[in-house]
Amino acid sequence: MRKLFLPIALLVLLIVIPPFMGIAWQNALVNVLIASLFALAFNLLIGQAGLLSFGHAAYFGLGAFAALHMMIAIDDGFPFPTPLVPLAGAAIGLIIGLIAGYFATMRSGVYFALVTLAIAELFHSLAPRLEDLFGGEAGVSSMRMPWSGIIFGSTLEVYYLTLAWVVLCGLALWSYTHTPFGRLTLALRDNEQRVRFLGYNAHSSKVIIFAISAMFTGVAGALLAISNETANYSLFASDVSAQVVLQTFVGGSTIFFGPVIGAAAFTLFSFLLSDVTRSWVFYQGLIFVLVMLYAPAGIGGVLQHHIRHRRQLDWSRLACPYLVAILGGVLVAAGVVFMTETVSILFGEEYAMARQATAGGLPSYPLFGIEWRPVSPLTWLLPLILLVCGVAVMVRARRRIDALWGRMDESRQVTADVAVLGGAT
Amino acid sequence: MIAPINDQPALRLSRVTKSFGPIEVIKGLELDVRRGDRHAVIGPNGAGKSTLFNLISGMFAPSSGEIMLNGQSIGGLAPHRINRGGLARSFQITNIFHRLSVFENLRIGVLARHGVRYGLFRRIARMQQVNEEAAEALARVGLEARAHDLAGDLTYSEQRALEIGMTLTTGADVILLDEPTAGMSREETAQAVELIRSVTEGKTLLMVEHDMSVVFSLCDRVSVLVYGNILATDTPARISANREVQEAYLGQEAS
Repeated sequence: MRKLFLPIALLVLLIVIPPFMGIAWQNALVNVLIASLFALAFNLLIGQAGLLSFGHAAYFGLGAFAALHMMIAIDDGFPFPTPLVPLAGAAIGLIIGLIAGYFATMRSGVYFALVTLAIAELFHSLAPRLEDLFGGEAGVSSMRMPWSGIIFGSTLEVYYLTLAWVVLCGLALWSYTHTPFGRLTLALRDNEQRVRFLGYNAHSSKVIIFAISAMFTGVAGALLAISNETANYSLFASDVSAQVVLQTFVGGSTIFFGPVIGAAAFTLFSFLLSDVTRSWVFYQGLIFVLVMLYAPAGIGGVLQHHIRHRRQLDWSRLACPYLVAILGGVLVAAGVVFMTETVSILFGEEYAMARQATAGGLPSYPLFGIEWRPVSPLTWLLPLILLVCGVAVMVRARRRIDALWGRMDESRQVTADVAVLGGAT
Repeated sequence: MIAPINDQPALRLSRVTKSFGPIEVIKGLELDVRRGDRHAVIGPNGAGKSTLFNLISGMFAPSSGEIMLNGQSIGGLAPHRINRGGLARSFQITNIFHRLSVFENLRIGVLARHGVRYGLFRRIARMQQVNEEAAEALARVGLEARAHDLAGDLTYSEQRALEIGMTLTTGADVILLDEPTAGMSREETAQAVELIRSVTEGKTLLMVEHDMSVVFSLCDRVSVLVYGNILATDTPARISANREVQEAYLGQEAS
């Protein structure tokens, strides 16, 4: 029961809060949900089967286009309930997933990744030319048709439809890990050869895993199409494929719900920052690199590590160094942001024009409401000091935290670190 | 000893060859493994023992010749087909699922035996028969206490025992073990021998083994493999008395 408390509380919040939010936030939450499902479906491959797909945009995009064609058909009088439109995305994802998966899973490792990448690129290059299927460069657009009294006109209605589908699909993927085939999936990740010599057909098993992942990815794509009422070939682009990889790893691919954390974090990050700064993609990349270097199990991995040891942790002692570490993190972030923004201004177009206006001089520029002079040492010392202080503070805090954790390790009994996607029976 | 008329060998290899490029590793090999026997293959390094196992279990297809399992031709079939035909193997290098629990390792094998290969619509926790059989297999290899530990955390000899357990769970009646006691201490070896003896009761065992004391205490018959051919097949006692074998292999070991 206690295990269910957190997910149920979260679900209640997701149902109760959005009506009190603005449309922009509702829309952002729709995108968070879609990205979460996309990442969960993707993680079925990397987290559970150990297959790194670099071309999941293909099934995401196909799901979107399938949904749009279904919506057009409904518009033309085809009697299909609008809330079930994502089934079209699921169907196309499953079918194309079976075909593409058949070829991709003949190989594993790098070769698998490259084949999936090539398949996605195939769609990306073909789509603009296939006018009937993908609407050329402009793409395909449609309208959400009302169904039995529900108009699907407001963002809130779309939000609840999306929520329902994402929760259902999330539950289905969670149940998957508790089926015999779900356990076989983990075995395939660990040792494909052993699986074959135990009497399983490893290739056909991998094809099915791939197709299931593609099917749920198709649902996510369909939900995006329902929300946007349009899609074009850019959905097949490699940055869509890359985004889901980044989100999954930042969230933590070894934990079932880890990808959701990454997807939510990145989606909200871009929602909040894309209007504020053009460098948000850079910050996103930086966060990815830092997480991979210092917390390779992802944010979810760090959280899980703390939750698992919550009884042994001496929070009264740990709270202080944790706060100090956060302070250090803020200092470093401030330094990095200042530096990045300064560089992006100084090498930007506007500044180039300002320089022309002053005949090649180095005029001052505004940042955070203050005018800065590029030639003043203060402009460069400030971020440097922030960075140095922040790193120093973090290093000290980390040493203290490590010591406290180390003491705990000695006192507790050594238990096997069985990850959720590992030996749980 | 009079064999029943319909007693075909569990495993029969006739004129089997295997070449890797220009190198012929197995050269027209003939071998019968009688049903219910514990049969060892010995031979110097590079004689082709591992290749022989890989041919029988389907890792490689033979270049020519025929391999019969329980009267059925299996030469060149995929490993999972051969497994379903009733043959399971272990590996020289431990081959388990490191990041799954010990129990789960065995259960994967049990599921295969039950033909549950694409089970997507039931909960594994509710599959009582499967879970009971996995627990039985766990008990048989003496790993009950470590059921929920990760297989990768087991000691070396525990991992070897687990692998033997996995080999058995698929319900095969012909078992191939590739150097099951390699790298073990004398004490561990004795335990492993007892384990192998008890779990292969009533089955056919073919094993590669270097340790002659293991061969003597466990096996009914021994074949000596030298340069891709069977030099002799006989009881352990007669094999060790065979002059030709001594020259080809045992003598070489002693020197």
